[in-house]
Amino acid sequence: MLWGAIYALVAVGLSLIWGVMGILNLAHGDFLMLGMFGAYWLAILTGIDPLIGLLIVTPAMFILGLGIYKSLITRIVKAPRLTALLATFGMGIFLRNLAHFLWRADYRMLGDTLVGDRVITVSILGGTNFISVPKLLAAGGSLAATALLYWFIKHTKTGRALQATAMNRQAAALMGIDTERMYMLAYGLGIACVGVAGTLLTNFFIIFPEVGIMFVLFALVAVTIGGFGSIHGALIGGLIIGLIESVGGFVGIPALKQALVFAVFVIVVVLRPRGLFGWAD
Amino acid sequence: MKLLEVKGLTKKFAGLVANDSLDLEIDQGEIVGLIGPNGSGKTTFFNCICGVYPVTKGSVRFEGREITNFPAHKICKGGIARTFQLVNILMSLTVLENVMVGAFCRTTNTNRAREIAEGILAFAGLPEKKDILGGSLTIADKKRLEVARALATKPRLLLLDEAMAGLNPTEQKEAVELIRRIRREGITLLVVEHVMQVIMPLCERVVVLDAGKKIAADVPEKIANDERVIKAYLGARYYAKRATPRSE
Amino acid sequence: MGRLKPLMVRQPRIFWRKNYIFIVAFALLLALPFIFTAHFQHHVMIKVLMFAFLGCAWNIIGGYTGQVALGHAAFFGIGAYTSSLCYIWFGLNPWFGMFLGGILAIAVSAVINYPCFRLHGRYFAIATLALGMIIRLLFTNWRLVGGALGVRLPLLPESLWNFQFHTTKLPYYYIALVFCALIFAILYKIERSKLGFYLRAIKESEEAARSLGIDVAKYKLVAMSISVFFTAMAGTLYAQYVLYIDPISLMPLMTSILICVVPVLGGAGTLWGPALGAPILLIAIEYSRAWLGGGGRGVDYMIVGAIMVAIIFRPAGLTSFFQGPRFRQWWRRIRG
Repeated sequence: MLWGAIYALVAVGLSLIWGVMGILNLAHGDFLMLGMFGAYWLAILTGIDPLIGLLIVTPAMFILGLGIYKSLITRIVKAPRLTALLATFGMGIFLRNLAHFLWRADYRMLGDTLVGDRVITVSILGGTNFISVPKLLAAGGSLAATALLYWFIKHTKTGRALQATAMNRQAAALMGIDTERMYMLAYGLGIACVGVAGTLLTNFFIIFPEVGIMFVLFALVAVTIGGFGSIHGALIGGLIIGLIESVGGFVGIPALKQALVFAVFVIVVVLRPRGLFGWAD
Repeated sequence: MKLLEVKGLTKKFAGLVANDSLDLEIDQGEIVGLIGPNGSGKTTFFNCICGVYPVTKGSVRFEGREITNFPAHKICKGGIARTFQLVNILMSLTVLENVMVGAFCRTTNTNRAREIAEGILAFAGLPEKKDILGGSLTIADKKRLEVARALATKPRLLLLDEAMAGLNPTEQKEAVELIRRIRREGITLLVVEHVMQVIMPLCERVVVLDAGKKIAADVPEKIANDERVIKAYLGARYYAKRATPRSE
Repeated sequence: MGRLKPLMVRQPRIFWRKNYIFIVAFALLLALPFIFTAHFQHHVMIKVLMFAFLGCAWNIIGGYTGQVALGHAAFFGIGAYTSSLCYIWFGLNPWFGMFLGGILAIAVSAVINYPCFRLHGRYFAIATLALGMIIRLLFTNWRLVGGALGVRLPLLPESLWNFQFHTTKLPYYYIALVFCALIFAILYKIERSKLGFYLRAIKESEEAARSLGIDVAKYKLVAMSISVFFTAMAGTLYAQYVLYIDPISLMPLMTSILICVVPVLGGAGTLWGPALGAPILLIAIEYSRAWLGGGGRGVDYMIVGAIMVAIIFRPAGLTSFFQGPRFRQWWRRIRG
């Protein structure tokens, strides 16, 4: 269930990029992976704990996002839909295998972190539940980051400019907004989101090159359920997925809980492509 | 038996009433004009007849048969063809291939379809352009192509949606000439237009829509001087001089 | 015959005569395994042909009809599993099993893909992607069909009837070549038929198509059915080639993507697109994997990723290089 918050953060980044520039950033999960590896290597090589590393990795990811935007995404935005889709996918594949190449496929975990493996016991409904602290922190951090982003978009001038660009690029440009910069900002923010999520995940999750795939697919489902283009939609979508996953884990075969998420996804796409809060493509 | 009978057609879009209880009758061989200010519901009306939108209420009968809410492709097969307000030709196909797509409605054989298409292109005045890609045509030719393509489906009723938009006066004259030729082939026409000078000499009857309702239906001369019509167009007076006598 | 003529440009039909260059090319293809005789080279050639075949199959729904399907590996798997299991359980000959696999693929796709047809481009793509994933997950967890461990086909004495060859893999190459010739011929016919015209109309504008009497949903289903039938056929070929199938290696997302990238790289919606895309992509993958020591170093897919990004520089695909007027002049000259 706590996973939902993490999925939500990843989904929010995806939704932001989609909403502003119409690109489905299928490499999103692989940027998450990069964030994770970034925090990992930072911890291993310099001993900086991920929780502190957050302050380093996040801006670094933001700048990486800006860089990627300037070099590749500008062109992808102009390409026809099919090739654009394949291009972001290709980016992801490239990054994934680059990680493979550099760091091999081994699963890694960070052992010695500030939060460690601490567990708190909580009594809910009579039964005793163990909640892992790093997971809780990750969920909490993700929610905090999402809230921060949400506040930024709704209540700052730049945020509102982003919204305007998302809704109608031409109109925004006519109003004096530098839409190119908005695009770049959106992409940077989206990548920063997964930077945060990735760093928080390194506290307790396994780090390996393919880790991004499931996350991006789940983020995609979240964005679809919540509605393309809507930030709070992505948040709610992410939480719903977390819910489906836990329910699926209880009720059905654990291995099939992923299939359950995808099944819900297909149903939503077929019945209501706009999702809960989105506007039509 | 009327060729087309529309009774009480109502179309609502989540609270907005685009067509309000419209009645229309068209006889075989007529050219009927449909005019009205922007947003009066003309294209919606077309779309309801052609099966693009499901109607909220009302009925459409073609050649005595009920066709209300039939899917668009069935209506085409049934004998009603249409063109689009925003030209909707197939850009990456050639002129000939565009028309062939229409011709395939009535045949399965490629060579036969090609023959039909070539015949239609000659009729529509585009024969020398047959191998040009649709996307490279001028707007006038694109419109002509769309008409040709619709004709290839061998319709008995042809609905033209603002066929004159974007054409200069010479092109408009040619378009009117084509419409007359189409009627001579025995095809009935319902024409939506904004360009008054075209409608008035061309149509035997004109129906006027305003805000989804039918406000007038009469011969062009009376329509041109009808107060309600003039008011609907915001006070502009349209004097439609009959430049050419309506000869058929 | 106009074979190297993508549908973007028109030309009167002067290609009917003087096709000797194609005869030469085909003869070359026949002789290829004797020019490159290494076992690995044969393996790559078979893979190239298989993906050219798969690319053509995808092209029917993805390229011509414009419905980007990203879950085709599932049908590849269905074909492989059907023929293999039908042999193991019922002793059904793999050739018949292949046909059955195709039918089953059509049935499955009719059920799961049909509701997706009313979705627009991007949504359809991700819906098929999700469906492909679901099917893979199903197969991985379905003990009846072997679950994650997959299915091993029993070794039979080699023969065409048994669809197995052991001493040399060459027969697989020629079978694949026949498959390719078959699908190219079928696509060639479709391109010029009512179905071909209708599919291209649907791709351009569904609204216009409907207004011309085209039952869009029905034709999308037809295109999809043809596409998955052939995709399943290739699955059987693959199963008989490697004699061991499992969901992880058979139906990963990567396979679906490759099936899609091969024709798009070559030129989606063109007859020769997959023929150009398959060799380039597959040779790049197989050789980078071989030369850089294998063992999951990832360079092979890095190349794939890079190519996928590079496509945006030429969205119409590689065949578009053969469209320019200069090429056509040169082409006419060398054909005499």
